[in-house]
Amino acid sequence: MPPYQGQRTLLVCLLALALMWADQRYAVFQSLRYVAGYALYPAQQLAILPSSLANWMDESTTSRRDLLDQNKQLSARNLVLELKAQRLASLEAENIELRELLSASEQVDDKVLVTTVIAVDPDPYTQQILINKGGDDGVFIGQPVLDAYGLLGQVVDVLPHTSRVMMIADSNHAIPVQINRNGVRAIATGTGALDRLELIYVPNTADIKVGDLLVSSGLGGRYPRGYPVATVEQVEHQAGQLFASVTATPSARMDRSRLLLLVFSQGAGKVPSDELWRNDR
Amino acid sequence: MTSIQSFVIGMLSLFLGFVLEHLPLPDLLSWFQPLWILVIITLLVFQSPQTFGLWLAIPAGLMMDAEQGALLGTHVFTLSIHIFLVQFFFRRIEVFNLFQQMAVVLVLALLHQLLSFWLAQVMLDFPHPVNMWGPAFSSMFVWPWVFALTRLTLRRISA
Repeated sequence: MPPYQGQRTLLVCLLALALMWADQRYAVFQSLRYVAGYALYPAQQLAILPSSLANWMDESTTSRRDLLDQNKQLSARNLVLELKAQRLASLEAENIELRELLSASEQVDDKVLVTTVIAVDPDPYTQQILINKGGDDGVFIGQPVLDAYGLLGQVVDVLPHTSRVMMIADSNHAIPVQINRNGVRAIATGTGALDRLELIYVPNTADIKVGDLLVSSGLGGRYPRGYPVATVEQVEHQAGQLFASVTATPSARMDRSRLLLLVFSQGAGKVPSDELWRNDR
Repeated sequence: MTSIQSFVIGMLSLFLGFVLEHLPLPDLLSWFQPLWILVIITLLVFQSPQTFGLWLAIPAGLMMDAEQGALLGTHVFTLSIHIFLVQFFFRRIEVFNLFQQMAVVLVLALLHQLLSFWLAQVMLDFPHPVNMWGPAFSSMFVWPWVFALTRLTLRRISA
């Protein structure tokens, strides 16, 4: 053992504590995390090499007939979607017009960035995933993440080429929602299980039914408004309790989706004050 | 073996450790993922104490923090205490038999888990839950294999 090793260890420990304290309060140390992220990148890539190789093999050995079949299916689906989009365009125009009448300007279209899931956090207590876009692509902490079916989560940590996304099913996560049918508001918290959210602070008398679609209310200022979050699965009214216990199934396919969307929405991050009461019906 | 050689080999094994940490695992096994970096650092400090000392805690710890999304400095703290303890008990661990060594690794891994749990609790409002026993036990069972493999490889290299 080198001389003065105890004192040196103590010094390093104190430095580490100071770093933790500073990291919690100041954003300056994000750059240090960034450097460590650059160093980690090759290890990450090597670890997922087998699965990416399998994917590549799968893609490059698909038969021509399979591809043709798929192509046919996709074009049929595309036709249906385009039909819907045509209707949507007129609806959107109408919506904007109505909003203008209400003198509330709101961006209906959000800019998105497509990203791929590269890994799932092995820690069984958290529901977090890694995606292949990072700070170099403009990803920021708190950015909402969607998949094709609904809201999936938010970015909690940004490295140069990868980011960490906390899913809405994480037990540390909560998202303000409202019922699409009547606008009743609630907060959906994660349970740690991927297929179940819990609604808290729902009054026993609230109008909520099984099968109701919950959409993001945008009230926290973190998520954009109006994206599907979950469908109500079970409502239990307990006599004598202040709140009903409500569970819901997330719309996003958190354990299956590979392609995700990062939303750069204009409204995210700030909630206009007049919007706060306009949602209330 | 020169110190440069052992430095290069050490860095390569740390890289391998981070690859192993990132390895996707089935649900059940993820409760028992060994603390690869901890095991490898123990091995490095044990095998070439002249090259690998306290300084290793800083880069490895920062990289672990970035990897796990913890507060920067958490693992620098735990790893520096870990390295100190390994250096402190170095002479004794050297003459221990395999099972005694495994017990030491278990205790050190548990201490590491406990410290990171405690730090998360003190520094953050909600503690990031730490899976305490599974990784400690699997690190213990991984130790003899890693240790034997290292000895074997070193013998091959020097022969």
